[in-house]
Amino acid sequence: MAVTTEPVLEVGGLVKHYPLTRGIVLRKQIGAVKAVDGVDFTLGRGETLGIVGESGCGKSTVAKMLCHLERPTAGSIRFKGEDITGLSGRALKAVRRNIQMVFQDPYTSLNPRMTVGDIVGEPYEIHPEAAPRGDRRRRVRELLDVVGLNPEHINRYPHQFSGGQRQRIGIARGLALRPEVIVADEPVSALDVSVQAQVINLMARLQSEFDLSYLFIAHDLSIVRHISDRVGVMYLGRIVETGTDTEIYDHPTHPYTQALLSAVPVPDPEAREVRERIILSGDVPSPTDVPSGCRFRTRCWKARERCAREVPALAVPAVLREAPGPAAHDSACHFAEPLPVSRPPTARAVPPAETGEPAGNGSGPG
Amino acid sequence: MLLEVRGLHVEFRTRDGVAKAVNGVSYAVDAGETLAVLGESGSGKSVTAQAVMGILDTPPGRITGGEILFQGRDVLRLKEEERRAVRGSGMAMIFQDALSALNPVLCVGDQLGEMFVVHRGMSKKDARARAVELMDRVRIPAAAQRVRDYPHQFSGGMRQRIMIAMALALEPALVIADEPTTALDVTVQAQVMELLAELRREYRMGLLLITHDLGVVADVADRIAVMYAGRIVESAPVRDIYKAPAHPYTRGLLDSVPRLDLKGRELYAISGLPPSLTHVPSGCAFHPRCPMARDVCRTDVPPLHPVSEERGSACHFWRECLDGRDH
Repeated sequence: MAVTTEPVLEVGGLVKHYPLTRGIVLRKQIGAVKAVDGVDFTLGRGETLGIVGESGCGKSTVAKMLCHLERPTAGSIRFKGEDITGLSGRALKAVRRNIQMVFQDPYTSLNPRMTVGDIVGEPYEIHPEAAPRGDRRRRVRELLDVVGLNPEHINRYPHQFSGGQRQRIGIARGLALRPEVIVADEPVSALDVSVQAQVINLMARLQSEFDLSYLFIAHDLSIVRHISDRVGVMYLGRIVETGTDTEIYDHPTHPYTQALLSAVPVPDPEAREVRERIILSGDVPSPTDVPSGCRFRTRCWKARERCAREVPALAVPAVLREAPGPAAHDSACHFAEPLPVSRPPTARAVPPAETGEPAGNGSGPG
Repeated sequence: MLLEVRGLHVEFRTRDGVAKAVNGVSYAVDAGETLAVLGESGSGKSVTAQAVMGILDTPPGRITGGEILFQGRDVLRLKEEERRAVRGSGMAMIFQDALSALNPVLCVGDQLGEMFVVHRGMSKKDARARAVELMDRVRIPAAAQRVRDYPHQFSGGMRQRIMIAMALALEPALVIADEPTTALDVTVQAQVMELLAELRREYRMGLLLITHDLGVVADVADRIAVMYAGRIVESAPVRDIYKAPAHPYTRGLLDSVPRLDLKGRELYAISGLPPSLTHVPSGCAFHPRCPMARDVCRTDVPPLHPVSEERGSACHFWRECLDGRDH
């Protein structure tokens, strides 16, 4: 994956398995929820990497590991070349200053008993070296102004603000320590359409103002495309395809990405008849029981025997390597190819017979 | 006309005063037609639907005016027993969150079968057989085995199918779907919407689709009614509205969707916030956020001006908006 600027974050072989145990006295591990199962990516300075995927694909778990809210089972996270995966104590605290998070739900991620001033200023309590005590109030006012809130409202409580304003408070808190990386996990999905655009514009403006790198996680594909320089598509704990926004959206080569893009409703009634839709059958398999080989094969219309045997690597597919072009980007599929060449025989994709019934019990970790 | 809502008013008594959730809403759904009611949270789109279905919580809610004609009868004047007979066999509802709409302690077969036992007087055994048929109809794999499973044992998409099966059980003339796919992932959303469209065609049902998703509307609706602060601000055939909106709010919503040709630029954003329903602005409720608001908008409530035979816009300056002269 080509990064144009110097890398700020480098993630390699990131894995998070949650053990499933049985028994109280004699605890025995009987399996694992493989939430993240080998994820690699690089995030450049001032760049936005969008991660898309459906619920249970592990995108939020990746976000949590980057912020050290979860400890990876395996793999490494490097911040500006330094391995920060195993850090603890003071060293961890110092690194955390530079990687801040903006959460999805502006209703539950703000403490209802704290004033806005206390919420936005709390990072300074944890990192007192970031701002001298006497200067903090002024800085908080400045931050509120930067995110488009009235600095006079510093003594108000979260419930006195609307959803969009609360998300601005969350962003101000994320900015307080002047981080280099912001991990935003579904930052606008809880907001109304008319307010989403306001928050997206704000994030874009802050990025150029503070030279921020964003890891932008969302399930809304059109918003991710709007804000991202590069995009990674996740399925069941792995990145299946990655490239620039044009490569992914206009020249997808992985069947899952193709199906995902074709499923997004387009706000244009004229497109209704002409659009070809790939409707996947079945559900995402349970992350406790991941299919062998390619994990998408149980829902894939292209799946053949090889897909059950070999795990496809995330690389430029061999067939596309000779012809440089937007379709030649990393895609973890044995039979990757640009769309018009082979479409499913009908609109409906039929899973190969040997896979049996799709797992339909419960849903994986959000 | 299958369903006609005329001048509906609904209020809620709250601690902060009376919230006027619905302020004179009128719309109609014909048999076999899909009407999408589009609006953001607090626009009154779901409250209107609940009033039609007769499941509005009263109190705190109160219907203060208007009529709801279903197959020619005003359902607001029916006795509760008669109303119950209409629900289920005449009209049915699909909710957003299937997990909380289904009973967690009854297996899905019992919940589906209950429709036939209560409304059709079937025996439990026959009802169970019909339940399996229905689950098959909405393409739940291995229906005969899964009929004894409980809602939590199904995935989100499968649960939503069970809700659809339940709504269609008695082949109602009208189905009200309140954000039926909002909680689902896009690939599952596509499955569920396709199923719904197919069944609607087959049974020639009227569909009242409540949603905030401009993409879903463009995909399935025949006509669209846009709601803002308890009123319909624009109503039109779906193609017209996407081509040239006749209300600045509709235009703002359409423009705030990220588009390919505008990547890297600022998104158009409607300034300000949706109003509080206890303090709806005077005149046109949208005027504090409207780029083309003038004095008259602060004082006079705009009626729904006829733009064409099938189209209406509640904007004093709908002509300018239609010509794209607003911003």
